[in-house]
Amino acid sequence: MAIIVSIRNATKDYRLGKVLVPALRGVSLEVNSGEFLSIAGPSGSGKTTLLNLIGCVDTPTSGTVEVAGRNTAELGERALTRLRLYTIGFIFQSFNLVGVLDVFRNVELPLLLQRTLSSKERAERVHSLLDRVGLKEYSDHRPSELSGGQRQRVAIARALVTRPQLVLADEPTANLDSVTGQNILDLMRELNHADGTTFIFSTHDARVMSYANAVIRLADGKLSDTSDGGRATDAEVAELGHVSAGASQP
Amino acid sequence: MSSFFLDLRIALLSLFEHKRRTFLLGAAVATVTALLVLLNGLSAGIRQTLIETATTISTGHLNVGGFFKVTAGRGSPIVTDYQKVVEVVKREVPELDFSVPRGRGWGKIVSDSGSTQAGIGGIEIEHERDFKRIVQLSSGNFEDLAQPNTILLFESQIKKLQVKIGDAVTISAQTPRGVANTVDCRVVAIAKDIGLLSQWNVFVSSDSLRSLYQLRPDVTGAIHLHLHPKALKDLPRLAARLRTSLEHAGYRLMEPDPKPFFMKFQSVAREDWTGQKLDVTTWEDELSFMMWTLKALDGLTFILMLILMGIVVTGIMNTMWIAIRERTKEIGTLRAMGMQRGSVVRMFFLESLLLGIFGGVTGVTLGVSLAALLNAAHIHVPLTVQIFLMSDTLHLAVLPTAMLSALLLVAVVTGAASLFPSLRAARLKPVDAMSHFG
Ligand SMILES: Nc1ncnc2c1ncn2[C@@H]1O[C@H](COP(=O)(O)OP(=O)(O)O)[C@@H](O)[C@H]1O
Ligand SMILES: [Mg+2]
Repeated sequence: MAIIVSIRNATKDYRLGKVLVPALRGVSLEVNSGEFLSIAGPSGSGKTTLLNLIGCVDTPTSGTVEVAGRNTAELGERALTRLRLYTIGFIFQSFNLVGVLDVFRNVELPLLLQRTLSSKERAERVHSLLDRVGLKEYSDHRPSELSGGQRQRVAIARALVTRPQLVLADEPTANLDSVTGQNILDLMRELNHADGTTFIFSTHDARVMSYANAVIRLADGKLSDTSDGGRATDAEVAELGHVSAGASQP
Repeated sequence: MSSFFLDLRIALLSLFEHKRRTFLLGAAVATVTALLVLLNGLSAGIRQTLIETATTISTGHLNVGGFFKVTAGRGSPIVTDYQKVVEVVKREVPELDFSVPRGRGWGKIVSDSGSTQAGIGGIEIEHERDFKRIVQLSSGNFEDLAQPNTILLFESQIKKLQVKIGDAVTISAQTPRGVANTVDCRVVAIAKDIGLLSQWNVFVSSDSLRSLYQLRPDVTGAIHLHLHPKALKDLPRLAARLRTSLEHAGYRLMEPDPKPFFMKFQSVAREDWTGQKLDVTTWEDELSFMMWTLKALDGLTFILMLILMGIVVTGIMNTMWIAIRERTKEIGTLRAMGMQRGSVVRMFFLESLLLGIFGGVTGVTLGVSLAALLNAAHIHVPLTVQIFLMSDTLHLAVLPTAMLSALLLVAVVTGAASLFPSLRAARLKPVDAMSHFG
């Protein structure tokens, strides 16, 4: 199985005034292509920091981050931006849609940045994704006219529209009620199954973790000392997740 | 290409989204543009008035004059057998609109109750065209100037001499041979003052001047050439060409010297030649002693424009700064999704540029309309200003090039004002931009 993310000994310190806040203290991790992986941990454990490193929107203080076979330390700003554009899709906790653009334009945006598809191809791609996330009817709505769950669906469509190898979602359901959150996770898992796209999502919610087929646990900027490089066993996941197995497990 | 339209779309939509800010900024840009247009129109208008008045009254666009020397030491500012010179000019200068001969002199004008020194223009009123429009009479009429021994005085001279229409004045001067001579003239026209030029100019019928200086009828002081507007851009080149043409026609010419004729007496007297030599000068040469007014005007306009532009740049930069701060999270998101830094900057530049163009077009329209209104209102200017303006009403000339350059300047400056804040925002790490609040 191809390795899509490989992190060795990554640390990240934030500077707060004169104090150095260690957010990650030596994390090593490998993610296989096609995984549906959850990064779990309490608030402040470093989940967002880790996802930012994987997403190439931030750089580690030490250690290496490889994404899709490229060592990010060796890439310049332009190359990193290109790597994000062609390889990674982002789903943010607070959706981060562009307010002035309608749903269609928001989803089309990454394709416009890529400049590879014709407008007809783009329209087909966007419409088929909006169909898949159940927003066919909403393509000319502004984000402000949508509910939270609908906005996150738009964000998912936007993250997937370029057919990236890797989709990163930082607490994608934290701003949604639990039923809507479950729907979003179902949708993500379905897309993971259908296309084999790698998903990495973070959460501090045990029920959300239970959707993953692998979970890594973060605490205090470190992976928990479990077998398999920080991965929880199925039993641990089952124990953590209080969701009924029939409804949530594949 | 599609990426450009994305920028354009986001730019347009953002402008539309923030209607209030767009409106206020647009209004500010429009106001400044309108002021620029008006300022430029005022400057160009004054320049036009000044040039029109000065060229009509004392030089023409090109001036064919010269000196005739009886002996090496004594020169008179005259052109002998001037009709032949006019023939050559008509043949060689297709840009010529019309030409008028003018006598030139300097003397003392004496009445029963006063006297004044003045330059004396010998005028053939029936050949003049714009003179009757530029010089406005308060009493008397132009036609009487065609009669022998008549004079036109300006109001300020009337005050000094205490005369009225029909009264006689005596003009005294030295003839080319160095003999004192006088001639009596009847006041037939009194004209409103036109600034500096009316301070030291009177006009007499051309034969009065000839009899004063005891000149033959085929002698004049200078030939004023009035050219078609298009030819006015490159007068020095035209002057040089005319010099060559006159030389080919057998005339001797004085060395080119960009000074008014009355400053050339001494150098001419020092030179060792006799007979006639011609001189070709431009109005700028002849009026170089008063070009400082135009230079001062240009300088003032430039400084005011700088101040105006400074205000726009500061205002727009401030507002763009706030606008871009508000959208830092959006910038972070776009950067995370793969938008290059350059595109971010371009997006905001475009937004700002559009604002500049909208505001600018509105402002130009506003400025042009205001200028038209002001012109129609025939606003009278105070006396002190009249002296420099050489006109009693305000005239604004809004040229298409001025409109275009105001628009261009404002649009570019407005666009450029976005560069600094947007560059800063684009340079942030995407994470830092996204976690930005406010
Ligand atoms: N920009 C920042 N500046 C300073 N400290 C930060 C910053 N971002 C995160 N931190 C700190 O780093 C630690 C990890 O944060 P984060 O990765 O956001 O955790 P999580 O996403 O699991 O809640 C926390 O202690 C947090 O306070
Ligand atoms: Mg977090």
